[in-house]
Amino acid sequence: MAFLLTILKPLEWFNDWAGRIGRNLSVAAIAIMVIVILLQVFFRYVLNNALPWPDEAARFMMLWLTGLMAPVALRQGGMVAITGVLELFPAPAVRIVSILLLCLSLLVLVIAAQLGWKHVNSGWLFSSSSLRLPLSIIGMKSQKLKLAWMYMSLFVGVCLMISVNVELILRSVLSLMGGDDRLRPVPGTKMAEPT
Amino acid sequence: MLIWFLPVFLVFLLLGLPVLFALLAAPGLLLWLNGQERDITLLYRNVYNGMDSFPLMAIPFFMLAGELMNRSRITERLVEFAQAMMGHLRGGLAHVNILSSMLFAGLSGSAVADTSALGSMLIPAMEKQGYSRKFAAAITAASSVIGPIIPPSGIMIIYAYVMGESVAALFLAGIVPGILVGVGLMLTVTWMADRYDFPVATRRYSWRERGGASLKAFFPLMTPVIILGGILGGIFTPTEAAAVAVGYAVVIGLFVMRTMRIGDLPDVLGRAALTSAVVLLLVGAAMAFKTVVSLSHAPEILASMILSISENPLILLFLINLLLFIVGMFLDAGPAIIILGPILGPIFVSMGIDPVHFAIIMSVNLTVGLATPPMGLVLFVASSVSGERIENIARAILPFLAVEIATIFLITYVPAISMTIPRLTGFVD
Repeated sequence: MAFLLTILKPLEWFNDWAGRIGRNLSVAAIAIMVIVILLQVFFRYVLNNALPWPDEAARFMMLWLTGLMAPVALRQGGMVAITGVLELFPAPAVRIVSILLLCLSLLVLVIAAQLGWKHVNSGWLFSSSSLRLPLSIIGMKSQKLKLAWMYMSLFVGVCLMISVNVELILRSVLSLMGGDDRLRPVPGTKMAEPT
Repeated sequence: MLIWFLPVFLVFLLLGLPVLFALLAAPGLLLWLNGQERDITLLYRNVYNGMDSFPLMAIPFFMLAGELMNRSRITERLVEFAQAMMGHLRGGLAHVNILSSMLFAGLSGSAVADTSALGSMLIPAMEKQGYSRKFAAAITAASSVIGPIIPPSGIMIIYAYVMGESVAALFLAGIVPGILVGVGLMLTVTWMADRYDFPVATRRYSWRERGGASLKAFFPLMTPVIILGGILGGIFTPTEAAAVAVGYAVVIGLFVMRTMRIGDLPDVLGRAALTSAVVLLLVGAAMAFKTVVSLSHAPEILASMILSISENPLILLFLINLLLFIVGMFLDAGPAIIILGPILGPIFVSMGIDPVHFAIIMSVNLTVGLATPPMGLVLFVASSVSGERIENIARAILPFLAVEIATIFLITYVPAISMTIPRLTGFVD
């Protein structure tokens, strides 16, 4: 158990840190999304001059918001699942099945990470249609943003979810071994209501 | 062979694997067994492409708008307005509860938000007037299902996106069914009020007082006008309308009503972002799942199975309502729509049911499932808001559920209820 706890500590630290940063960036991202879309409406109706970039910029923000916040949700058990059926079975069986399910989730994530890496690399070949890095401000030529920067959102999200998933597996194993008193609760943000 | 991903998927779900992973693991496994590794790559790319969408952005925005309205205590103004209008009737607060839910539905697309916002105010107030706690909790839960039926609606945005329908058409089609559910509940309350001698809430308000309450509720009540008016008038897309609703909520919360502080914003934004991430990822996974659904010819195979039961669309609609109702008992409306839409939609559309009509049948049915025992999410929320045991609420809600089920069948067999407004406005031909 001591061994598992030693691996758990740095993982917890990393996931705390990534979650905090992800949350702050996502708060900024969703605020920017709203502002950018309002700008789009304002420019089109009031100034009669439709901007080309808000649509893509807002999607960029939304993708990164998802990539950064999904791991946080996974960590606090916020992913939708049916829990009622399994609870009909005896508790020890439930705990073992849930560890197996966590392993299955991990498998999905690891495969997704491999595919994601290829996806990101393919994105260096393509440029965004409307987003530019305004390098002209510092005297260089403006460059179109590579799509890889957008593709990376899901890849980063998957990698962070792997880290969270490993933590969850370690926690479940430790809890199964009777180490509940040595685990600290996951820090949480309250969720809004989707349906 | 590939069709086996459906039973595998079902087993994963029932065991409690998160829907997100089940949507990917089951098709992935079968593709791998089938030697179609290249399509697994497709699966990943479709998750990404599924999320990378402008129409989908309406989901985080409407969620954010709802959170902001709650935080700035706009709900209280709506309840005051409802009280001025209906408080003097026998069973006054029960009517107020239903009317508030209908008004709140025009601001938010979430039944759960409705239950927690209205329940925390109205359940204690109803108890003080002598209603039983379980009755108060039950009517709150039952009326909150109107939230996702009257636009804006989170699940309708999801349905429209996954199935390639128009969000505006679905929004418009939801108006009359939502009002119908509300009226049905009010009639039930009226009937019960005479039988059980419910108290009246207040004296009758004068029209001058009603005018005052309307004025106080004016800004919140304008939200649905801006959203629907903007979409209908072709001024903005649903996504832009949602962003405008957010901007509007911020302005009235911070500057007009001054019930919110700038310091409240990060927390509200964070909560909306967290939930959005879950929903968006789920929608992405659903789009990937959908490609495998069509690769496997599942709709055709299931259609022939379903048609072997009966070829009469009326009977099939009855059976599908039963199926949806059972699914709704165990699964939230959003994920259920994501999973069942791509499988069931094409079958019924090919039988001549209008896609918009079918979307409304599914949405209303699955939303009512939110308030249905044993696993209805709204019941859990009503229980935690009121402190009443969930079994007691589940029993007290039965008469209201009966009315809602009757309404589902009315909506199913009278297409004009959902289709008239979108037809008149030209969003459906």
